[in-house]
Amino acid sequence: MSATYTNAHSYLDNTGDDPAVRAKLVVGDNDFHSVTEKVCGVVERPQPKIWWVVFAISSSLTLVLLATIAYLITTGIGVWGLMVPVGWGYAIVNFVFWVGIGHAGTLISAILFLLRQRWRTSINRFAEGMTIIAVVCAGIFPGIHVGRVWVAYWMAPIPNQMSMWPNFRSPLLWDVFAVGTYATVSLLFWYMGMIPDLATLRDRAKTKIRFYAYGILSLGWRSSNRHWHRFEFAYLLLAALATPLVLSVHSVVSFDFAVSIMPGWHTTIFPPYFVAGAIFSGFAMVVTLVIPVRKIYGLEEIITARHLENMAKIMLATSMMVGFAYSTEFFVAWYSGNTYEAFTFMNRAFGPYAWAYWTMVTCNVLVPQFFWFKRFRTKTVLLWIASVLINVGMWFERFVIVVSSLSRDYLPTSWGYYRPSIIDILTFLGSFGLFFTLFLLFIRFLPIVGMAEVKGVMPQAHLDRPGHRGHGDYHGDIGGAEVLS
Amino acid sequence: MQGNVLDITTENRHLNGVMRPALIICAVMAVIGFGGALFLANTTEHGIEYLLETYLVSFAFFLAISLGGLFFVLLQHCTRAGWSVVVRRVAEAVAANVWVMAALAVPVVYGIHHLYHWADAGAAAHDPLLAAKAGFLNPSFFIIRLVIYFLVWGVMASFLLRTSVAQDASGDPKLTLRMERLSAPGMILFALTINFAAFDILMSLDPHWFSTIFGVYYFSVSIVAFLAVMPKILYALQMRGVLPNAITVEHYHDFGKLLFGFNVFWAYIAFSQYMLIWYANIPEETEWFLKRQTGEWATVSLILIFGHFVLPFLLLVSRVIKRRPLLLAITGGYVAAMCWVDVYWLVIPEFSPGVARFGLLDVLCFLGMNGVFSAALVLRMRRHSVIAEKDPRLEESLAFENA
Repeated sequence: MSATYTNAHSYLDNTGDDPAVRAKLVVGDNDFHSVTEKVCGVVERPQPKIWWVVFAISSSLTLVLLATIAYLITTGIGVWGLMVPVGWGYAIVNFVFWVGIGHAGTLISAILFLLRQRWRTSINRFAEGMTIIAVVCAGIFPGIHVGRVWVAYWMAPIPNQMSMWPNFRSPLLWDVFAVGTYATVSLLFWYMGMIPDLATLRDRAKTKIRFYAYGILSLGWRSSNRHWHRFEFAYLLLAALATPLVLSVHSVVSFDFAVSIMPGWHTTIFPPYFVAGAIFSGFAMVVTLVIPVRKIYGLEEIITARHLENMAKIMLATSMMVGFAYSTEFFVAWYSGNTYEAFTFMNRAFGPYAWAYWTMVTCNVLVPQFFWFKRFRTKTVLLWIASVLINVGMWFERFVIVVSSLSRDYLPTSWGYYRPSIIDILTFLGSFGLFFTLFLLFIRFLPIVGMAEVKGVMPQAHLDRPGHRGHGDYHGDIGGAEVLS
Repeated sequence: MQGNVLDITTENRHLNGVMRPALIICAVMAVIGFGGALFLANTTEHGIEYLLETYLVSFAFFLAISLGGLFFVLLQHCTRAGWSVVVRRVAEAVAANVWVMAALAVPVVYGIHHLYHWADAGAAAHDPLLAAKAGFLNPSFFIIRLVIYFLVWGVMASFLLRTSVAQDASGDPKLTLRMERLSAPGMILFALTINFAAFDILMSLDPHWFSTIFGVYYFSVSIVAFLAVMPKILYALQMRGVLPNAITVEHYHDFGKLLFGFNVFWAYIAFSQYMLIWYANIPEETEWFLKRQTGEWATVSLILIFGHFVLPFLLLVSRVIKRRPLLLAITGGYVAAMCWVDVYWLVIPEFSPGVARFGLLDVLCFLGMNGVFSAALVLRMRRHSVIAEKDPRLEESLAFENA
């Protein structure tokens, strides 16, 4: 029967629809050993040429970032294109952009875990790594925006002899806590999930440095029954704790705008709308990165066509949510009868920033419509192009929100047109350099696929047996804890 | 295929006669409820107006339950869910009850001039804000929209139920594919309709007020209300010997988890709406919350915070209740009651500022609607098997366990 539904173009194609059969999540002739070989090989073998080329470019761009930051700090915020009335420009746009990208990882590792989506195992490590790195990039921007960076620690509520405290009523301070908490929990979750795989790398180490480095990182993991038991329990607990964080971070980021009384910012749908947008952009970035990586390192049998297809579907769903929020905002701007609100939305669509608005709508709402068709979800080139466009669109979404509202507020005499300075643009490009540099280092030194988890969803783990259909990721007979019901 | 999977043909899968007592109870509830409410309304001053108002509360509440069911079924197809197959038919029946809600919408339309200030043609003459919205908020367009919503919901629910029932006979997996494929665009229709329905039926009670999240708020009410009543329905079926082994503690556990999660989601949405309006402190928005924190309504607001969020959170966070069907059914019933209070809190302050005049009329009206809704559900479920008998993922659902 399955032949009716799966098209047998290639053994790599596991995107069949047969409802009676759960798709294989690792295709080809793989067993536990071959998965270990493939994933560890990424770290153990010399890196391909392309790695060095990209690393050279991205680390140079990182230097650009450092240089522009140094210039900014020594000179002042005036080097940016900020002006009256647009007091928030690229820095905040970039901050929200990067934080948004940092949403896919924890969503995949926590929420999809609780929802028993076993396919997450192949991509969660990768996405979590991307998440941490994106949050690092995000953190830079508000950090350098404070002007006197040497007193940035004032954002933390540290008791001091001046009795000086941060303004707890400011959503910008809530951001410090929200993003700080998120970064901490994501890092813990990422690291903890990696311990068994780090131990695998340790056990395969051929040099002393490797052995000790991975040995220290793997915290004495021996893969004993007791280790696994505690590991799984801790994983479940962290997943439960991380789940609300996935929603809270971008909700708090949305508060930066929505608590103000700026038309186009103050609207109650902002928190869930920002969260949907963040997940949307996060998945787009995962797709953008994972397509070349799986090709270069030959991981197509582990990060399969089905994984890409599922991510395309999530992007379609979140794109529709974002589009839904755009239209609701537009409708209510009219329905509210508020002149300023209605003006802001007409101004976005037809004013001086209309080019940015329609870029946003095209990339975020129209482009993902192609994902209704399977061809676009499974052709990696098309999927990759679409994911890049979505990244562009999501950056423009934040640009539209920040700049179009500020540039034309209540008082026409104070209207203006914001243009980024060259330093703005270089800083933004530089943040991509940092992102890719850290990401390449992650690929170079750490296991980019959760081997232990992937093995748990392979047929060899016998999860298809009755009584083994539970959470599916760890439970069952991994680590010798098999109990037949 | 698998050794110890339950053979579904050994289960009692039909409501043959076992629901007769329940039907009688429903009929009695409906008659006493609606009859008593009408009698009470006719004999008291402003009684008919009060009745219309509380009728809208119960209408929006039961509508929320069926829309939650519709969302649930659509979601199961969109995600190709396996765990929920054994309970999906019941959810399909709950969703199809949206047709009953369409019939029950008639009194709302009848009472439009009392319930909706904007329906009063004279009001717009003195109110430029209403005059500006008159193109949208006017009785005939309102009724047209209601008809469209109910057609969209009803057609989707009937399609999902009928296709699923057709599969009971044929076992054709293509029907599953068909439902999966149509559920994705169905989800978009659902989002648009529930959003605007919430604006129309509930938000426009105060035609000056607006909140972009309001549709999402009503959606959260609907999914929580549905998940809250499902364990009760399943438990009632099992108590009468229907599907005694097919529905296991694992399915209850999952409903408990979803109820916990979506109840937190409700709180998140409610908090987002309140926080942003409170913080910005613009009179045209705060007036809506001011009504709800003045006089007795302040108490109702506190009841919602502690009774709808804090207590269910504490009850459902551990697995103790989630894995005990009776306790979960009771907890779910309690959460559903809180959902009703929530809708009450959305509607009544618009008519009764400062005074939460909860009384016999509200109870009778609720009972009456409950009788009609439950009877319709039982009658619908009697027509076919209460389980999707030949769903390709049935075995997966029967065998699944929460680890």
